[in-house]
Amino acid sequence: MQLQDKYRIALLSAYALALHGFESLLPTPIPWLKLGLANIITLTTLILYGFRAALMVTLIRVVLGSLFTGTFLGPAFILSMGGGVTSTLSMGIVLSLMPRLFGPVGLSLIAALFHNISQLFLAYVLFIQRIEAILLITPVIIFLGTLTGSMNGIVSDMLIKNLKKTN
Amino acid sequence: MNLKGLLNSTTIADRILLFVLILLSLSGIIFIKEVLPKGHTVRIEVNGHLVYLLPIEKDRIVSVKGSVGNTIIEIKDHKVRITESPCDNKLCILQGWIEKGSIVCLPNRVIVIISSQEDELNKRVDAITG
Repeated sequence: MQLQDKYRIALLSAYALALHGFESLLPTPIPWLKLGLANIITLTTLILYGFRAALMVTLIRVVLGSLFTGTFLGPAFILSMGGGVTSTLSMGIVLSLMPRLFGPVGLSLIAALFHNISQLFLAYVLFIQRIEAILLITPVIIFLGTLTGSMNGIVSDMLIKNLKKTN
Repeated sequence: MNLKGLLNSTTIADRILLFVLILLSLSGIIFIKEVLPKGHTVRIEVNGHLVYLLPIEKDRIVSVKGSVGNTIIEIKDHKVRITESPCDNKLCILQGWIEKGSIVCLPNRVIVIISSQEDELNKRVDAITG
């Protein structure tokens, strides 16, 4: 890894952390509804600088974010880590297998879907253990994730275009 | 950025994925309640006191002692019935299998209720009338 890449990852992680912190301050109508704004940065990193950089940014964001909010190694940290890594992996795999099929919006939707599925799975295995409660809430969460995911995808798309223009 | 630019920047696969996800999740929201079993627990009360609280998923036959004699209750395939009762009119047995609601045997003071988890929680909240 070159020095320039390290600078880039540090800067992008800082952006992701700022968005992560900002969204935890936003009031939402439903307590567990999160916008997933940090995924804008992950997705942009993935498309512009590749999978390794994106995974790095995600890991740094999750670990530092949990340290700042005081949830390090707690239940929220496990959910956050699981969701972040799974969504980054899913985007990376889809992008490497079918590079031209999905644009940023599609990748963001895939990330949101896998993020939610992995969090629901972890919540079931670790905390709730009532399958009917999880099944009842799954479509609602996936629907909300689709809405926020498409929004994030549109923002990433604009960001990527602007960054490419300035480069 | 206008709407046209947005449409140009999404691929066909993007749009199909969005459409499929919205369709699946919305139909999931509507239909998941129908798929799930409605009642969760079977409450058996004698003289107003809770004797058994059983999951409806597990097949079981239990016998409870009422005011007159023993009532035998069978749980099978998410359904409940009373198979034997010492009462005269045997209305509780005639009622047959139930999936929701309740069976009441007044002579023997036995009540079988299928209640959902939410009902249980609501009952717990109301301490005054409960």
